[in-house]
Amino acid sequence: MTLELKIGWLYPALMSTYGDRGNVIALQQRAQWRGINVEVIPFDVNSHPDSIHQIDVMAGGGAQDRQQEIVMRDLAGAKAEAIKAKLEAGAPGVFTCGSPQLLGRFYEPGLGERIEGMGIIDLESKHPGIDVPRCTGNVVFEITAKRLAAELTELLGGQKPIIVGFENHGGRTYLGPNAEALGTVIKGFGNNATDGTEGAFYRNAIATYSHGPLIPKNPFIADWMIKTALQDKYQTEINLAPLDDSLADRARAAMLKRLEISE
Amino acid sequence: MQINLLDRVRLGIAVFVAKTITATIRTFKLGAASVLPGTIAKRLHPQILAMLSQQIKHGVIIVAGTNGKTTTSLLLRDILEKDGWKVVHNEAGANLVNGLITTLLEKTSLTGKLKADFGILEVDENVIPLVIPQLKPKYVIALNLFRDQLDRYGEVDTITYRWGKAIAELDCDTILVTNGDDPALAYLGQQLAKGDKPKQVKYFGLSEPELYLDEIPHAVDSIYCPSCGTALEYKGVYLSHQGDFDCPKCDFTKSKLSIDSKEWPQVLIGVYNKYNTLAAVTTMESIGISKPIILNAISDFQAAFGRSEEVMYKGKKVRILLTKNPASMNETIRAVSQVNQAGSESVSLMLLNDRTPDGTDVSWIWDVDTEKFVNAGGTIVVSGDRVYDMALRLEYSKINLNSGANIIVKEDLKEAIDTAIELTAPNQILHIIPTYSAMLDVREILTGKKIL
Repeated sequence: MTLELKIGWLYPALMSTYGDRGNVIALQQRAQWRGINVEVIPFDVNSHPDSIHQIDVMAGGGAQDRQQEIVMRDLAGAKAEAIKAKLEAGAPGVFTCGSPQLLGRFYEPGLGERIEGMGIIDLESKHPGIDVPRCTGNVVFEITAKRLAAELTELLGGQKPIIVGFENHGGRTYLGPNAEALGTVIKGFGNNATDGTEGAFYRNAIATYSHGPLIPKNPFIADWMIKTALQDKYQTEINLAPLDDSLADRARAAMLKRLEISE
Repeated sequence: MQINLLDRVRLGIAVFVAKTITATIRTFKLGAASVLPGTIAKRLHPQILAMLSQQIKHGVIIVAGTNGKTTTSLLLRDILEKDGWKVVHNEAGANLVNGLITTLLEKTSLTGKLKADFGILEVDENVIPLVIPQLKPKYVIALNLFRDQLDRYGEVDTITYRWGKAIAELDCDTILVTNGDDPALAYLGQQLAKGDKPKQVKYFGLSEPELYLDEIPHAVDSIYCPSCGTALEYKGVYLSHQGDFDCPKCDFTKSKLSIDSKEWPQVLIGVYNKYNTLAAVTTMESIGISKPIILNAISDFQAAFGRSEEVMYKGKKVRILLTKNPASMNETIRAVSQVNQAGSESVSLMLLNDRTPDGTDVSWIWDVDTEKFVNAGGTIVVSGDRVYDMALRLEYSKINLNSGANIIVKEDLKEAIDTAIELTAPNQILHIIPTYSAMLDVREILTGKKIL
């Protein structure tokens, strides 16, 4: 039996600012290279809310302010409910850059009015003012969200799941009592540059400020998403064939060395 | 311009000090002195940029845009010089305020007199609103606006708005030469052509549908109507978001182009250099330079450093194509692929750095459509500070893991160059595609000289 994987890409034209497409490319290729049939399905202004039902995994990126407004207007109502239902049902998702703000309760920009989020995760984001420096730079964090950390550690043969990425955000995110942090910052700013948390994890949704090409350099995220989605879809244990990840390993090692972090 | 006595004395002191610094730096070979003298002169006389630039007889031409500033400026200069004019030009590419001052100081006498017919100044996107009130340019050339690195620049929308505001304050005899194929810049022209102080606006662009791309690249920035926000409809796209567009909802549409692109040859290779050529030609024609002079300058054109520049190294021909962002990398690999079609085994060297002039965030490489380039085969040698990030982008472009280009990873730049040169056949050109600081490094190795 040939397995099939449908990747839902949220607003590819409006929300793919800084290499966020990298996550979609990596998910697609890592499935395709293993002989899985892959289809990338855009979920955007032209989509019917119900089209989300066919999707197995979801990816969303960041946007410029004007584009983000268009997205929020379009998401209000049925489409937001559809995404919410999908994530509640356990579909794996990766939401980078500005996307986590959409999943939260609201975002207060540096200029302009509060933007209501989808309220899926108990978090809120605020911009401290346009004169306050952005959180920009290479970021390293350890995934600590309990179930995810355990499953990734198993995938990695006992190694700790350390993420190497790049963050660039003006807004600061604060987790509510019902939200679990995705990880703990080792180097960089994370959610708000103060409490040491980075991102959030809810059901099987990963929300992180580490933007776009998160997966190519941290490929175990993709493998976990594909495995989780397919196991749920086919109700059977799925073991993905190993791929040669030596380039990703060397890319990670080079950055960790530069930042003087021992793995 | 009237200069009072006190100002003249202060200007004299500022010029004298700055020139002494330049001489000192150069005597002791401490660098190129392309910025520091200006920094100090501005301390001694805050209005120095205005006082110097307003002595330029026929005024300043500002060249603005994300990509193509250096090549366009150089072509403008060549044309004007061929026509016998004296030009002052920031050829070293120092395009922030202090670099502009340093450039003008070079041509200024110790008594503060600047003798030049035209000033050609390429200016950084973000600095434009700052310097326009001082430079009072006669011509502003708006080449293009692409998404650059987020950690250096704000959003494209904000930049256009700020340019418009600054240009609007200039006199009515100001001529704006803008890219008619770029929706945001065409709109800028249309807005500035009306209002209290209407400007003269000339539009350049392509009229060659055979050059349309098969599809809109992923990295496009402004496909929404700058007037009403509706998605624009395109009959065809020439490059990124530049093409034949129309708004299906409001009355925003393309303006009539002031030039027929089919009548003009281009400098260098690539569609992007077609645009640069047309921008220069449109400006020069409105100044009144004759067609034979312009054509002559186009055919004699020698590339600026790193911008499609050709050098010989170990008996092989090498072409260096600077790339700074998704739009320029898309266009560069498109131009290289066209050259390669003629040959068989092509070799390219891609260099990705993440220093300040490159942008410290390299995520943008995932917005580049590298798939066609990689799957066309050949060899791609990769190096630079972020060699593995670049290699990953290329690996993930492969349809099958066992097909596509042979990707060779070399951490050491010298070794990477030697490997690429060795693999290049005698009758072939090695194309080097570096980011800015990598371009300076590779050039130093190839030519044995440091430029900056």
